[in-house]
Parts: sequence; C-alpha cells; structure tokens
Amino acid sequence: MENEFTFALGPVAIGTSVITTWGIMLVITLIAWLSTRHLDMLLPGKLQTTVEGIVAAIDEAVAAVAPEHGRQIMPFIASLWLFLIIANLVGLIPGLHSPTRDLSVTSALAILVFFSVHWFGIKTQGLKNYLHHYLSPSPILLPFHILSELTRTLALAIRLFGNMMSLEMAAMLVLLVAGFLAPIPILMLHIIEALVQAYIFGMLALIYLAGAIQSQQLNSQE
Amino acid sequence: MEFNLSTFIFEIINFLILIWILQRLFYKPLLEVIERRKQFIDQSLNDAKNLKQQAEEQCNRYENRQKLWEEEKQAALTALHRQLEAERRAHLDRLNADLEQERQKANVLLSKQRRELQQQVEKQALLNGAKFAGMLLQQSAGPELEARLFTLLMDNLVTLPEACKLCLTMFGTKKSVPVKITSAYPLSVEMRQQLEQKLGALINSQINFQYHQDQLLIAGLRMDIGAWVLNVNLQHELTGFAEIANEPE
Repeated sequence: MENEFTFALGPVAIGTSVITTWGIMLVITLIAWLSTRHLDMLLPGKLQTTVEGIVAAIDEAVAAVAPEHGRQIMPFIASLWLFLIIANLVGLIPGLHSPTRDLSVTSALAILVFFSVHWFGIKTQGLKNYLHHYLSPSPILLPFHILSELTRTLALAIRLFGNMMSLEMAAMLVLLVAGFLAPIPILMLHIIEALVQAYIFGMLALIYLAGAIQSQQLNSQE
Repeated sequence: MEFNLSTFIFEIINFLILIWILQRLFYKPLLEVIERRKQFIDQSLNDAKNLKQQAEEQCNRYENRQKLWEEEKQAALTALHRQLEAERRAHLDRLNADLEQERQKANVLLSKQRRELQQQVEKQALLNGAKFAGMLLQQSAGPELEARLFTLLMDNLVTLPEACKLCLTMFGTKKSVPVKITSAYPLSVEMRQQLEQKLGALINSQINFQYHQDQLLIAGLRMDIGAWVLNVNLQHELTGFAEIANEPE
C-alpha cells in the first residue's frame, strides 16, 4: 500500500490521504455550519435534532468516564470520533481510500492523543503532581510507565492502521475472487468494522485522557 | 506500510484545525443551546413545581376554610334550631295560655248565660206564679179570707218586732195620730173595736181612725200610721211576689 502523492508544494509532497482529509474536513465543516446556522432552542429542526443527539450522546459518554473534566476533553474526543467515522467510511466511496489506512495519518492521531494526555494531565493537576504519578506506587516502575506510554501510543496507531488496511485489502481480495456475489456482505462488514475501529480509537483515547486527569486523584485515594 | 513525515505533520495540523473549527462552529453553539434548553426546562419544571405547591397550599387552605365554613354552618344551624325550638315552645305556651284564658272566658260566659237563663226562667216562673196566684186569689177571695187575714193581723200586732214597737211608741208623742185603715171588704164593728183596742194599746195617744174600702186589695187590710204602713192583704203579697221576680241579682 503505497502513499500516492498528487502534487508538491515546494519540498513538501501532498499525498492523497491529506487531500482526502481536507475533503473530510470540508464536509464536516459544511455540515457543522449548516446544522448550527439557525439554532432554535424550543423548536429544533430535524438536522438540529440529529446533531444535538450526536453531540449530547458523545458528551454523556465522555462525562461518564471523566465526570469532572468532561467538558475540557469533549471537543478532542468528539472530533476524533467524528473524523474517524467519516474517514473509515469514506473508503466505501468508489475511487476514494480511507485516510486511516495510512500509517502516517493514524500515527499523527496517536501522537495527538499522546500529547493530549500529557497536556490535559498537566493542565488539570500541575506539572509536579502529574509527573509524580509516574513514580507511584514505586519509582522502580518509572521505566515501565514510560514504556507503557510509548507502546500504547504505538498500539493506537498500528491498531487502526492495521485494521483498516487489512479490511480494505481483504475486501479487495474477496471481490477479486468472488466477483459480484460478495460486495454487499463485504460492504456491511466494512461499515461495522469502520464504526467499531472509530469507537475503539476514540474510547481508548478517552480512557487515556481520563486516566491522566484522574491519576492524581486515584493516588490520593490510595 | 510507509511513513511519510509531511503527511504526518499535515494530519496533525489538519486535525488541530478541525478541532478548532468544530469547537467554534459545532460544539460550542450546540452545547449552549442544549444548556439553555436544559435551563429553560429546569426553570419550567421549577415554575411548575412552585405552581403545584402553591396550588396544593391553596387547595389545603380552601379545604380548611370550607371545613371551617361547614362547622360554622353547622353551629349556626344548631343555634337556629334551638332558637326555633325555643320560639316554638314560647309560642305554644302563649297559645296554650290564650286558649286557657279563652276557655275560662267561655266557661264564665256560659255560666253567666246559664245563670241569666235560669234567672229568666225563674223570673218567668215567678211572674207566671204571681199571675196564676193573683187570678186564683181573685176568684177565691171573700169575707172568710178577709176574716182570716184580720185574725192574722191581730196576731202580728201582738208579735211585732221590737223595732216596730219602738216606732209605734214614738207616735205617742203626738197629740193625734191619724190611722187610715183600708180593707177590701167592709169591716164589722166588732172587728173595728178589736183593731182600735189593739192599736190603742200600742200607741199612747189619741188615734183618729179612718176606714176605707178598696177592692184592689183583693182581701185583707192596709194600715197607714203616719209614714208607717202595715200591709196584710193579698194585693200587697202579690206585688211583693212580683217584685221578687224583678229584683236584680
């Protein structure tokens, strides 16, 4: 699976994943703008009701994991979920590929999760308190904590990349072998897998963020 | 599986921009609308709760007031019934007293009417008796009855009451006492002598006897001695009989 480049801005090459991402961003921005153009508090329309339901569901899910700091991390998690769902499903459109089958894209999202964990952890607890949790329950575990941080970030990137790439590859192989008999089940499998992978990536990011935010509180309780 | 740094950096920038756009365009307005709606619903619920509480308080207040009214009404009804009963008893007592008074009046009136009727009957009986006796005595009167009444006069002169005797004695102070003797039938000489002798014994003065005859006496005599009159005749008796009937009660 090669990264196809369409054009270059000087020394910087722009690949299809980036262009697809821009398209996805444009679509999401358009939907967001259309749905929030005329918000009515008492008599919401169908589109407003739908997007309110989506945002309220995400907000409740985030609040259930991180009740005290839900509103701080909700934009990041919600953006992850919305982007990943569309990015995973965009591969169903003929001629397009999911950006998430590109390791560079999933690595970028994983790195963002990695830095977000530390950013929100330091923001809510302070640098000293946040770094202190790496020494608990014993300083001996510091290397393991650091290793855990790195591996779980790597796992995030590889898991999403591997699943989406393998899904598209498997679908392509099945289509080559079975012809016109298999497309519909394969498409259904693609939809389910896309939703599940988006959910897993977002939920893991949420858990990591909540863990970083609440680690000091857990230490205090212990 | 190739890793491209430029794609990696672009994706990081893209995603950060996407977060920024969505935060400005999507999450913030939607969450604000949801929050405002929630506040509106909470406010409406609080208002409804307050209204319900006020309604319940008013309901309780009105129920208590209605209960008080019922008690007042019951008390007023009881007082009214007592007052009506008292007035009814007083009215009944007054009616009974009036009735008793009317009954007594009626009894008195009935007794009076009975007495008057009885008096009228008695009066009529006396008048009838007097009339019948007068007719009978007029038919049966004669010299024999005259003689018998003369004898009775002689006996009465002997047995006169002390007051009468004293009155006749007082005539003795006069020189001459006129005595008018009226009889229904002419008196015999012997009868006149007996009479003059008797009166002379009672009156110690000179007596001037004058004899008259009057058929109206039916039988018997009448003596006029000054203002003193002695009647021993049937006409006088019948008149007295009739006067008894005419005497008021």
